[in-house]
Amino acid sequence: MRKKLDTAWTYGLLVIVAFIFFFPCLWLILASFSKSGSIYSFEGFFPKSYSLATFHKLFTDTKMYNYPRWFLNTLFVASGSCILGTFLTILTAYTMSRFQFKARKPMMKTTMVLGMFPSFMGMTAVYLLMTQFGLINHLWGLILIYAGGAPMGYLTQKGFFDTIPRAIDEAAKIDGATNLQIFLQINLPLAKPMIVYTALTSFTWPWSDFVLPKLLLKEKDLYTVAVGLMSLDETEFARFAAGSVFIALPIVILYFCLVKNMVDGIAQGAVKG
Amino acid sequence: MKSKWKQWKNFIQGSTGAVKLSMLVMGAGHIRYGAVTKGLIYLLMEVSMIVYFVTRGLSDIAGFFTLGTQKADAWSGVEGDNSIVMLIMGIFAWIVVAAFLYFYIQNVRGAYACQKRSQKGLPQIGVKQELASLLDQKFYVLVLALPVVGVCIFNILPIIFMILIAFTNYGGKIVPPELVDWVGLDNFKKLLVLSKFAPTFGKILSWNLLWAVLSTALNYFAGLGLALLLNKECVRGKAFWRAFPILAYAIPGFITLLAFKFMFSYGGPINQLIVSHGGTAFGFLDLDAKWSARIIGLLVNCWISVPSIMLLATGHLSNRDVTLYEAAKMDGAGRWKQFWKLTMPYMIFATTPVLLGQFIGNFNNFGIFYFLRGGLYMDGYFLASDTDLLINWLYNLSIDNNYYSIGAAISLIIFLITSTISLIVYVKSPSYREEDTFQ
Repeated sequence: MRKKLDTAWTYGLLVIVAFIFFFPCLWLILASFSKSGSIYSFEGFFPKSYSLATFHKLFTDTKMYNYPRWFLNTLFVASGSCILGTFLTILTAYTMSRFQFKARKPMMKTTMVLGMFPSFMGMTAVYLLMTQFGLINHLWGLILIYAGGAPMGYLTQKGFFDTIPRAIDEAAKIDGATNLQIFLQINLPLAKPMIVYTALTSFTWPWSDFVLPKLLLKEKDLYTVAVGLMSLDETEFARFAAGSVFIALPIVILYFCLVKNMVDGIAQGAVKG
Repeated sequence: MKSKWKQWKNFIQGSTGAVKLSMLVMGAGHIRYGAVTKGLIYLLMEVSMIVYFVTRGLSDIAGFFTLGTQKADAWSGVEGDNSIVMLIMGIFAWIVVAAFLYFYIQNVRGAYACQKRSQKGLPQIGVKQELASLLDQKFYVLVLALPVVGVCIFNILPIIFMILIAFTNYGGKIVPPELVDWVGLDNFKKLLVLSKFAPTFGKILSWNLLWAVLSTALNYFAGLGLALLLNKECVRGKAFWRAFPILAYAIPGFITLLAFKFMFSYGGPINQLIVSHGGTAFGFLDLDAKWSARIIGLLVNCWISVPSIMLLATGHLSNRDVTLYEAAKMDGAGRWKQFWKLTMPYMIFATTPVLLGQFIGNFNNFGIFYFLRGGLYMDGYFLASDTDLLINWLYNLSIDNNYYSIGAAISLIIFLITSTISLIVYVKSPSYREEDTFQ
């Protein structure tokens, strides 16, 4: 009897939790299909009637809010920083894990101290420097900043490389392989899950970041989706909902496909931190 | 220290004239002992360094200290000094000097090594061999070069720039073409004493600390509780239940925040419900809504952060030592006792670094109140509102209102607070002291 009560109680809680997490998402999704754009025409939480008009408007009515352009900008920035950032991060993590050199410990300590500075401080400085040199309003500038800072978060990846046994390396070395060959032909293929994780995180960060684009992109046509959606008028709720659903969808799908990698990545970062 | 001194003594006594000459003319030692190419490279370095110094280096370093002496004057057509460019070029000159010093020392060391090799009758290492070693023994140099350059330009340089700015009067009316000056600790004094900044600073700092503690504790226990709930034996279809928090986790933060802002706005669904049930609309996030806005902030932050903590805790919970729990059950320990005596110590041990990261992340949580309330300025606050954290104030001051130097000083204070807390946790926490208690 007691056990049954306990089970019922547990499920009750679970339903509440699921509701709490799911309801805002459902609200947003339904709002994106609403017929009228303004939030004032809703009945409580949900729209009175549904249609696909908002999505149609989102992609065709580009005079004020050029969503397709924003979307392409975001895609460009996110893919660029994903490729470059993953490359740099994996290289850094691998060297930090495998090589013993004099500057290793000081470098690890330096990155730790640098991580303590509020990220904003650097951004204000980047903003000031960029305005000083007239480098504002360039998408590639964003890519460089995202990718350039990416190696700072190498610890999770280093933790992964630490778990690949060194015996394999030694064996290859005896067979006459150079360090470059060991990296390219042995460790890189083994690190595939970690590369996927790194690529995912370095893609989603620029995809959903708003501070840096807001600082550095002042022209409406260069906006990323995050900045663009922020600039929407308050009456454009349905458009906001549609734009959000459209940009959140790919990320959500990616997360669900790679949830195993994500969990492993988080856990590793935690233990080895 | 003593051995260094001894090395130096040996070097002075043991080195030949050519090696000593390379302290004056870089590369001399290398050329004398047959490593001609390397010697010439060092010589070229010295020459270009001298050229750089004569043409710009010296004036750049002087400019670093003066930050400009000639104010621009459009009437008489005088092109004045741009203090900020001078500051940046000054930093750049210092970096060049540091790099040069490094190569200078390498040059003397290398020359001495060349001498030793030739005395032993060994052949010198050529440039080709050195380059080949980049692919093998010195692979790390090749690989790290690019990331290090990137981090230096996009992380370290901006941080150095901002630290220096904190000690100038840059900002407000004093932006180029006006001349900026070094002012020492004035900005910090202003923050702590001046009636314009000090009250705001005190209020924001205390709310910021309260916020960081509350939100971290709330997120952590809610996440842990959720993980324990999902981990219960009686729960079937765990993947299904877990999907809901993961959905919340996957949605970009700014979307969540903007959506919640709409939800709690005047015309939002919650107020519509209140009105339709005969109430009056309530400004949850309004100017005078101090605590309701703060509590909504806490809860929304919880909604965003709990899923990641749950995922993490789930991973750790599956690593627990089950036999401990069985033993505890046999000894008659109840569920609460098991939780407090076994689960909590283990979890805290395993997640201290994450907890610390969470705390610092929350301390510097820019997004929450920027999106929920965004840019409200209140009476009794200088360019801030009662929900703003230091980081929001920093943004208002330096990006929206050009108070660059005050903003930089606040950044440094944030850095001091977070690094002190981290250091204390780092030294005191069991996961650093007793690494193998639980493993």
